Amino acid sequence: MVELPVVEILTGLSLGSRLFLVALGLSLIFGVLGVLNFAHGALYMVGAYVTISVVQSVVGNFWVAAVLAGVGVGLVGVAMEVGFIRRIYERDQLDQLILTFAFVLIISDLTRIVWGSQSYTLDPPASLNNTVQIAGASFLTYRLFVIVAGIVAMAAFWYVLQRTFVGSLIRATSSDRQMSQLLGTNVSRLYTGVFALGSVIAGIGGALAAPLQAVTPGVGDQVIISAFVVVVIGGLGSFTGAFIGAMAIGLIQSFGTMWVRGADLFLPFVAMIIVLIFRPEGLFGEEGQ
Amino acid sequence: MGESFIESLARPSEWTSTHLAGLVGLLLVVAPFAIGSYQTYLLTDALILGLFATGFNVLYGYTGLLSFGHAMFFAGAGYTLAVFMTDGVSALGLGAIFGGATPLVALAIAVVVGVLVAVILAVPVGFLSVRLEEIYFAMITLSFSMAVYTIILQDYGGVTNGSDGITVILSEADLFGIGVPLLSRTVYYFLVLAIVAPSMYLLWRIVRSPFGTVLTAIRENPERAAAIGIDVRRQRWASFVISAAFSGLAGAIYIPLHNVVAPGIAHWSFSAEPVIMTVLGGPYSFAGPILGAFVFRYLRWFVTQYPFFQAHWQLVFGTLVLVVLLFFKQGVAGALKYGRRYVEARSMGEPEGEP
Repeated sequence: MVELPVVEILTGLSLGSRLFLVALGLSLIFGVLGVLNFAHGALYMVGAYVTISVVQSVVGNFWVAAVLAGVGVGLVGVAMEVGFIRRIYERDQLDQLILTFAFVLIISDLTRIVWGSQSYTLDPPASLNNTVQIAGASFLTYRLFVIVAGIVAMAAFWYVLQRTFVGSLIRATSSDRQMSQLLGTNVSRLYTGVFALGSVIAGIGGALAAPLQAVTPGVGDQVIISAFVVVVIGGLGSFTGAFIGAMAIGLIQSFGTMWVRGADLFLPFVAMIIVLIFRPEGLFGEEGQ
Repeated sequence: MGESFIESLARPSEWTSTHLAGLVGLLLVVAPFAIGSYQTYLLTDALILGLFATGFNVLYGYTGLLSFGHAMFFAGAGYTLAVFMTDGVSALGLGAIFGGATPLVALAIAVVVGVLVAVILAVPVGFLSVRLEEIYFAMITLSFSMAVYTIILQDYGGVTNGSDGITVILSEADLFGIGVPLLSRTVYYFLVLAIVAPSMYLLWRIVRSPFGTVLTAIRENPERAAAIGIDVRRQRWASFVISAAFSGLAGAIYIPLHNVVAPGIAHWSFSAEPVIMTVLGGPYSFAGPILGAFVFRYLRWFVTQYPFFQAHWQLVFGTLVLVVLLFFKQGVAGALKYGRRYVEARSMGEPEGEP
């Protein structure tokens, strides 16, 4: 019997889970608003920084910090949408992409002003800071928690979108904005809400990632590129796609390091190019989107 | 033309692009003698970035395709030049053939080879990329360039020297007994000017040609362009390769100025620089990107005088791009055009013209 590379699989899945939390909001915002938010990685980074600051402050509790990170980043998202992005829905997609790119520059530099350029690390919350034995390998419990959190987020999203009234409003507006507006949806408020929701998830994603990686001003730039790879492979606007894509990229990165030096960095881009050439709508995207 | 060129100069409101180009050219030739060494370096840098942005804009402003991967051509040519200058010259035995002129000849060959490499890269990448549009085009060019970036960073085969990069120091050329110190900022400035000026003219001719009109038609409405018989994909491909060639040329002449090539110029954040310059300058005017490049470079220099902004220049540019994008879609070039019309309208005593 071949021994399963359990450690690589679990490492890949926990990486995938973190990517998924960024990709989920990115895909949601694109699916509904039609805006590819370049600044989504920057929002994730702000979430990680806020978490670290709150844990190091008098509050000192990781879970409180994660909630505050979600709320704080959500507010940043509302400010971005209401103050700026809303003004250019009528313009072409490229203008919107460049506008959100301007936010990458602005948010990255603002975090550098607030938190400096040094690298921060954070211990996982005490209750999960131990190891479990899985198939003979020891594994950080917190990593398992992050994997579960990704799956729970996926399930919750599926439920909200498919089974609730708000979910059907979101789906209706996503497929036909004008019709939805004529039927009485407050599209403008819905857009703000969706952008805020996507930002909240990015903030929480950053919070959950903070104990697993060094937090530096470069984190946002790194994660947004990986998230682009994920949503393009999965299909822009598709949640199943974002989930499968995130897990696939997580596994590619975790196994790639074993194969050839640099393959973990190189292979995701090759996968993205191949998908764009043969199936530009993504593996789970709808035709003609 | 019943009057002389000199006479027509007296009335600024009737100046044509030829007058302006001549005046700018004259200023550029005189400039290095009037400004210091550092300012000459700055001007050289701005010219090179201007060529990069103008090359980029053939694809963006004229064809309507936003590439987030032009760093791959800039870096591809830059690395080729560096490898050629460090290893190629001795391997090919150029020193024995060209004697004292070797440094200059080697530089010329390296620039040509660099552009060739950019074109060789652009032909397949462009072929595959122009099948997509809008966001998807931006994404595929981004992933191609990041693949190139990781290859450069990993230093496969020991060619690119990983994150340290390659140092390129030009030496003095001896042309029939006259020493030409290529490392001198003034000398290198004129070399760059001698490359950038004809390149800009060539680009201007390209976008004013029937081919350029076809590109604009594709930008405005690809379906309609296809309906009147334009092979949209083929023309976009041609535009892609031309754009990449000039970006590569800019990358090749950029390296000797900075004396080093490092992986940073292949990263996607470097691909964003021509985007910023073009948005600032205005994508729908030929002069826009070069104006944007000058604004970009000189503002970056200007903010170095204020330590806070020097450390946070990204904040400055992010805010500028935001403001320009929201309120001045035509960028600096558009503002100048509007200002000129306003002045003309005022001087003729007529009501303000349509912007």
